[in-house]
Amino acid sequence: MKREALTQKLLVLGVDGMDPKLSRKFMDEGIMPNLQKLLAKGSAREDLGHLGVLPTITPAAWTTLATGAYPGTHGITCFWRQSPHSLDAVVYNMDSRNCEAEQLWNVTADAGLKTLVWHWPGSAWPPTSDNPNLSVVDGTQPGSVNMGVAQLDWEKIIFASEEIKEIQYAPKLERPAGTGCMISDLSAITEEKEPTTDMMELWYGEAAMTGSEIREYIMGPENMEMVIESIPHYDVVNSPLKNAEGWVAAPADAKEFTILTSDGIVRRPTLILKNADGIYDRIAIYKNKKAESPIVVLEVGKMVSGIVDDINKEGVLKPACRTMKVLELSTDGTSVKMWISNALDIAQDKLWHPKELLKDIVENVGPVQPVSLVGGEDAYLVEKVYEPAWDSYSQWQAKALNHLIKTRDFQVVFTHLHNVDCAGHMFWHLAKNLERWSHCDAEVNQNFIRKFYIQTDKYIGEFLHLLDEGWTVLLLADHGLLVGEEFPPQIGEYGGMNVQVMQELGYTVMKQDENGKNLKEVDWEKTTAVQSRSNYIYINLKGRDAHGIVDPADKYELERRIMSDLYSYRYKGQRIIGLAMRNKDAVVLGTNGPQCGDIFFTVDEGFSRLHGDGLSTTDGAFDTTVTPIFIAAGTGIKENFTTTRTIRQVDIAPTIATLVGVRMPAQCEGAPIYQILDEEF
Amino acid sequence: MSLEQLNAIKFEEIIYDNLESCLVIFSRKDCHVCKEVVPLLEELQPNYLGKFGFYYVDVEEDKNLYQRFSLKGVPQILFFKEGEYQAKLVGAVDEDKVIDKIDEVLES
Repeated sequence: MKREALTQKLLVLGVDGMDPKLSRKFMDEGIMPNLQKLLAKGSAREDLGHLGVLPTITPAAWTTLATGAYPGTHGITCFWRQSPHSLDAVVYNMDSRNCEAEQLWNVTADAGLKTLVWHWPGSAWPPTSDNPNLSVVDGTQPGSVNMGVAQLDWEKIIFASEEIKEIQYAPKLERPAGTGCMISDLSAITEEKEPTTDMMELWYGEAAMTGSEIREYIMGPENMEMVIESIPHYDVVNSPLKNAEGWVAAPADAKEFTILTSDGIVRRPTLILKNADGIYDRIAIYKNKKAESPIVVLEVGKMVSGIVDDINKEGVLKPACRTMKVLELSTDGTSVKMWISNALDIAQDKLWHPKELLKDIVENVGPVQPVSLVGGEDAYLVEKVYEPAWDSYSQWQAKALNHLIKTRDFQVVFTHLHNVDCAGHMFWHLAKNLERWSHCDAEVNQNFIRKFYIQTDKYIGEFLHLLDEGWTVLLLADHGLLVGEEFPPQIGEYGGMNVQVMQELGYTVMKQDENGKNLKEVDWEKTTAVQSRSNYIYINLKGRDAHGIVDPADKYELERRIMSDLYSYRYKGQRIIGLAMRNKDAVVLGTNGPQCGDIFFTVDEGFSRLHGDGLSTTDGAFDTTVTPIFIAAGTGIKENFTTTRTIRQVDIAPTIATLVGVRMPAQCEGAPIYQILDEEF
Repeated sequence: MSLEQLNAIKFEEIIYDNLESCLVIFSRKDCHVCKEVVPLLEELQPNYLGKFGFYYVDVEEDKNLYQRFSLKGVPQILFFKEGEYQAKLVGAVDEDKVIDKIDEVLES
């Protein structure tokens, strides 16, 4: 079919976790001027939101935004899907091959429109169309471009002082806030420990792409994501600091220390240099002492990105991009503290389609920048490292997208930025005074939230010029993020199987050691149901599940009993389950079908974690909401217009299809947002 | 000819300041396999005088070096050239393997 396009060029500006209530609040405070401009030029609801799908989980919602289908229809119902082999195992789900609905970008490419899909964390990679009009970059994890496949070395804090006698290296140390940077007892930290979770490796690693199965049991607060992510992990290097000796290029009065990279096997001698006033204020990093010129010179307090140096992997040298910052440097040059980011292989093009896009970006914009994952409850690191590193990445991404838009004649561009969501997972829960984090300052963390929205506003500002060049711009998110009112109960966490509540209710039975402590093994002979991933309960059914014990004839009655028990369950004296319904009934929420368990449930408002467990209308402390933002502006969209229409997440793909004049994606369940379009329908 | 022992400071000097091409065996006194591999290196050493250095690190005395290279178990022979780690050989190795690896490093 042919439909007349309302616009020739359309950009989807996706910002993961962007919350309309906070956006309104910060706009009113005057700290989001670019958002204000976008809104004035376009259409939105008064509350700036749209109705997100259930579950309020990243890949589920981004897949809905791409297909116009509900999660029950497209089949991406969490970060993980259930393993066909066992109810306690899950398989990574950020893989387009699992999506059962057609993506809009395949439709636009087939319609002859040059289309770019950039780091879209919902059924984008691998590309599902071989149409040459379609370009796709990454989309295998929500973090940042190439994060899952190009990391060659981890983040490090290097501390050098005259007191340190020999160089020491401690990889991936858990560093609660307030911990100093001296390595005090190396033997204590070198013991082989069972990792607390193997989720991260699958999340960011290559194993995710091979469909590996994991078993993750959430058995206590220590297994909960918000607890794990609050504590930063990074490598620590302690280096002696002394007068420079044996250098080809060291000026008089220079001092030296050593940086270790490449998991500790590469050493980079570094000079500490004086300025004209005789104050030590910068460092210069060299390949070795015989080198004539430095790899980079860093002034104290100034973050520098795009630093390319070789990383040594098993004797093979690979150029990698890093961001670095000298955090502290004593004016007399006797101590220095610095951060170096993880290192991204600058040539890793396996998630670029076509591959030459990477070369184009590296040559014209610069290598893909790493982000930071250290911060959490350490406010010093959030302020000095984490937030500025994300700001730097966001600016790199804006430049990269603008470069591609300008030079390659793309007509439809789908993009995703993860800054707000990543920060949310790390410290949003610290923005309210909860007992567990009483050592953290809620107001400090509220201001960090502000900073991330200011950063996002700056990012949005980089695209406003497109409105003057005939483009249509849609700003949207998958979900918002809550500042939680309470430390949440252990049900509805998306990372695996949630044990506690279902164990207390007698449905899940774990094997136990002689002290009555849970082992990481389900007693399948006694287990009648398990709670897996964000919102799903599975009956351990005979004939369907590997260890099934429940007769299919008893399933209906058992479901009734479980739902009744869930509603009666009390946590801190309160009911915590919002809704619980059978799979067949959950069609009213769009969460029915084979990927949605036997019972779909939500955690009630007031007890939800950041996102992903409750209704998509849930509100939290500090004026937060799980509702995602939606603002449209530019060609084809009414200017300065407010609609009362309920905008559902499934309505956005058909709206885009209408604007660019292509057919609806095959499984689309939404309808265009007629009310905001210039042309009457 | 016994191998020269390196501590962390000496290690920095030889490998990174002097940029010497060399191998370093990480070993432990009570390790049986180390007792077989170290003499083999001692025999080879004179053939490479002035060309390629032979050193050892006692991992119990210098835990931080062991830690820094993320080594798991001994013996491990690490090869360096111009301040860059090149490769390693793990566990029981024969003379030919070491010779081949030295040639490979020198020619690279």
